[in-house]
Amino acid sequence: MNFRLMAVAALSAGALALGAVQASAQKAGGTFVKIVQPEPPSLASYLSTSGPIGLVAPKIYDGLFDYDNDLNMVPALAESVDVSADGKTVTFKLREGVTWHDGEPFTSEDVQFTVMEVLKVVHPRGPNSFREVTSIDTPDDNTAVFNLENPAPYMLRALSGYESPIVPKHLLEGKDLRDNDLINNPVGTGAFKFVEWRKGQYIRLDKNENYWKPGLPYLDRIVGRFIPDASTRTAAMENGEVLYGAYGAIPNIDAVRLREMDDFGVTTDGYSMINPMALMEFNTTKPPFDNPAMRQAISLVMDREFLIENIWFGYGKPATAALSSNFAATGLYAEGMPNYPASGNTEAAIEVLDKAGIMPDGDGVRASFTLDLIPYGEDWRRAGEYMKQALLPLGIEVDLRYEDVPTWIKRVYGDYDFQMNVNYFYQLSDPVLGVHRHYGTDQIRQGTAFVNSTRYSNPKIDELLSAGAVEPDADTRAGIYEEIQSILADELPVANIFEMEFLTVYNEKLKDHATSALGAYGPFDQAWIDE
Amino acid sequence: MSIAARRARYVVKRLLQAIPIVLAIVILNFFLLQLAEGDAVDVLAGEAGSATPEYMAELRAKFGLDQPLPVQLAVYLKNVVMFDLGYSFRHEMPVSELIFDRVLATLLLMVSTILFAVGFGIVLGLIAAMGLNTWRDTAISILSLITYATPLFWVGLMLIVVFSLNLGWFPTSGMENFAMFYEGWDRVFDIAHHLVLPTITLSLFYLALYTRLMRASMLEQAGQDYVTTARAKGVTERRIMFVHVLRNALLPVVTMAGVQVGALIGGSVIVESVFAWPGLGMLAFEALFARDLNLLLGIFLLSALLVVAVNLVVDIVYSSLDPRIEVG
Amino acid sequence: MTFWALFSRNKGAVVGLGILAVITVMAATAGLFFPQDPFSLAGKPMSGPGENGFLLGSDSLGRDVAAGIAHGAKTSLLIGLLATLVAVLVGVVMGALAGYYGGWIDNLLMRVTEMFQTIPSFVFAILLVAIMKPSIESIVIAIAIVSWPAVARLVRGEFLSLRNREFVQACHTLGMSDLRIMLVEILPNCLSPVIVIGSLMVATAILIESGLAFLGLGDPNIMSWGFQVGAGRTLLRSAWWVCTFPGIAILLTVLAINLVGEGINDALNPRLRERT
Repeated sequence: MNFRLMAVAALSAGALALGAVQASAQKAGGTFVKIVQPEPPSLASYLSTSGPIGLVAPKIYDGLFDYDNDLNMVPALAESVDVSADGKTVTFKLREGVTWHDGEPFTSEDVQFTVMEVLKVVHPRGPNSFREVTSIDTPDDNTAVFNLENPAPYMLRALSGYESPIVPKHLLEGKDLRDNDLINNPVGTGAFKFVEWRKGQYIRLDKNENYWKPGLPYLDRIVGRFIPDASTRTAAMENGEVLYGAYGAIPNIDAVRLREMDDFGVTTDGYSMINPMALMEFNTTKPPFDNPAMRQAISLVMDREFLIENIWFGYGKPATAALSSNFAATGLYAEGMPNYPASGNTEAAIEVLDKAGIMPDGDGVRASFTLDLIPYGEDWRRAGEYMKQALLPLGIEVDLRYEDVPTWIKRVYGDYDFQMNVNYFYQLSDPVLGVHRHYGTDQIRQGTAFVNSTRYSNPKIDELLSAGAVEPDADTRAGIYEEIQSILADELPVANIFEMEFLTVYNEKLKDHATSALGAYGPFDQAWIDE
Repeated sequence: MSIAARRARYVVKRLLQAIPIVLAIVILNFFLLQLAEGDAVDVLAGEAGSATPEYMAELRAKFGLDQPLPVQLAVYLKNVVMFDLGYSFRHEMPVSELIFDRVLATLLLMVSTILFAVGFGIVLGLIAAMGLNTWRDTAISILSLITYATPLFWVGLMLIVVFSLNLGWFPTSGMENFAMFYEGWDRVFDIAHHLVLPTITLSLFYLALYTRLMRASMLEQAGQDYVTTARAKGVTERRIMFVHVLRNALLPVVTMAGVQVGALIGGSVIVESVFAWPGLGMLAFEALFARDLNLLLGIFLLSALLVVAVNLVVDIVYSSLDPRIEVG
Repeated sequence: MTFWALFSRNKGAVVGLGILAVITVMAATAGLFFPQDPFSLAGKPMSGPGENGFLLGSDSLGRDVAAGIAHGAKTSLLIGLLATLVAVLVGVVMGALAGYYGGWIDNLLMRVTEMFQTIPSFVFAILLVAIMKPSIESIVIAIAIVSWPAVARLVRGEFLSLRNREFVQACHTLGMSDLRIMLVEILPNCLSPVIVIGSLMVATAILIESGLAFLGLGDPNIMSWGFQVGAGRTLLRSAWWVCTFPGIAILLTVLAINLVGEGINDALNPRLRERT
């Protein structure tokens, strides 16, 4: 695909969308109360991609671009982008007359500082997104020229206010990036200004009167409330005390119930840039999972449809390959991979084990191991309980282990002291950003969370991953990823379970809240309340 | 020596005695918390998505987590002695500020619960004791046992469903209306409005205890010699009951209320969770799972101080309720 | 009057004992009536009570709620009894030593007891389970650790008042060993309040276990009422039976234990014995 064309097409689509918004009859004013769960550790979205930070910070910080629901680029702080023919020079034309919440003007210096000194240095994914960027030139206040080592097509998908927030140089320069005022008192260019954070209760943002989009935002105020108990969150939603809950804040079972009521809506939109995938990580260096047959058997026996139906109440799609089917749009997803049945296939699993010589002992036990579960909620415990039962007919005995977050992270990513781990990952908008970290040998980074914990290392895969990352031709790239998926479907260091569909539950009073592909992580400048 | 002076000396003595205990508690807790696997950096890194080992090492150095344990303990103790509870690296705030922010909410819930539970407990216990082995006694016993034995979160959720969703009388959760941001008296009423359901939920659990304690205590006192003497002197039953017996029967109830204050800080985790009440229990709970050890130690220290203080107050109240008990 | 005659005067206590007997029988015969693993996916998920052959319905994975309650009874009673046993043992030893010897031993042991009492008990239990990893053993230990100080204080008080009595003095002059005096002479005299407090502790332990499970700190491999309640709580509005029936089981058990405890108290309390 030609990236310049894509960007140009996106520009016109974005302009149209903006025009259309201003033409209809929105009401201004009102306080929008939404659920933010759990309470974020800070509001420093340039330091941490922690989910709850994303629910708040993108209202305060803008990115260079936003993305609409078809993943077209929508101009934000940048009015346009131009990618040179060799893909190594990317020029952003920045918007004029934008000011920070403290009144200082926004310039290309801020962009240069943000990418080179902040995102490339301290952001968890920034070093990856901008890894090809060697320098940024600022010929004038409204032009930023990114000089790249190699073409980096995926970079243009990582420019949102959530993924790559542009931060004020004048407030951060020379400061300790991890210890400064901005961490709890953010100052951005976004539609809302930070006002107050009462720990344990709420974060309050008020309308930015000088926002660069004329007439926006409509809302006077956004309040993010922290409600620890899931059932109470649902009750608060039903009672109209909160109008919006995303990322599973309202449990699926309750969403299914609220869906039937007139006042509430449920949507799975707004997660396409996130692309979450539920999966199993196998420790490939230790028995029993050093044998690929064991991994295949587990993937084969898993009734993915049962899990989706009974634990996630119908939201999700059985995984069929290492990549999510959401990558079909970019041509990278490969269909028809083996070892990924939608509903379990116990016979096939037994056959695989028999063939590999993993036979039952005197008590009918072929293997036994401990299954670690991601400590992010009850659903995962149910999944573990299901798996334990599903593996019994194979003669595989499972002991479930459910620990708290720090213990679990240390066990899996610090000490590699696990056998099989149920987890979920964001595949994000490009495999380079979200998928490579599972499989590359260079991603075996002891002590770093959410990378290659299986310690799978395959030179062939490494070679293909490197090629896939820089290949500019779409068809050739698709071919590379098909080979990757084909190898991984047999090797299965990680077996995907299902493509998760996160839910956003909202009160019908709230309008135009889903204008961005980022969904809940979007700017919310066009949202309004119909009282 | 005057009574006042003796009392003052007694208080000082008790406070001095408390210092080594409190320090011992800090040290015990410090080592206990070290037994937990993982640290604050693991949590932050896990939440952040992905972080490099260099970044994590840098964070550990910044938090002082790379120091040997005895050094960390010494630093902490030195701070505590200077009334500094340290810094919460997770919240990027001093621990004292974080705790202070929650103390009001905790006290509100605690005091209203104790008042409610002790008040109703005394009344119900009194009624039960006066109608010993009648249907009233049995009904009160059973009722209070049922409220005690019903899991708290179930009661909480049911109250929300009935009184918030179906009847619309009370808000579901939180401490204030965050769409309105009331001020002045409106705010006071708003907070009181939000306080009702959590107080009832938590009180139901403690109600049983006070009811039974009051009943038992009344019966105990009614069998004492002084009651017989009073009766022989011709004092009316009413007067015996309400002046002599009641006064003495209150003693164990007051003691228990004192003991309970300490337990309430932690005992309300579930209620705080269900009603999104911003109290210390939830703060401690979250601090534990974020390995925010400075914060957790601070909360434990505060709770220890509170227990010591309340016990002292109880002893003094005790001596004024019953002049036979001398302080000192 | 015999103990039973005294006990049976309290009708509530007799009812409580009846309930407790039923629950104990249920726990003992769980494997007989529900031979399948209570975790097994026995049928259609979210079936209501009486539907699809589920007496009390099934949960979100199709597990039999009735089977869970029967098997869970064993776990819950076991947790309650074991935790209490450990707490009483530790409490009696600490309290007896402190009360009998007095002086610096008393001072030291009581300071230690106080230390444990100043940490909010439920938070303390959460902390201990989190440190030791959620499992049935860690839950029992955690409950025991937060419960023993109450026993220690009680026993110490009794020992303090009994150690100067004439019969104890007499034993001293007879040259009995301290250990023998404590175990044989004093301890039996303060057993009744210990039994009463212990019986209530069993009930509290069951409640704490369900509270821990509510917060996600139950043992994922063993069926207990706390597990069922914790797993069913998000379904409360859609499938009330999943969490309500085990909740009722907890309620009935705690109620029964309390009634029995009261009955024992009445029967053992000499003052009340004379009154009615």
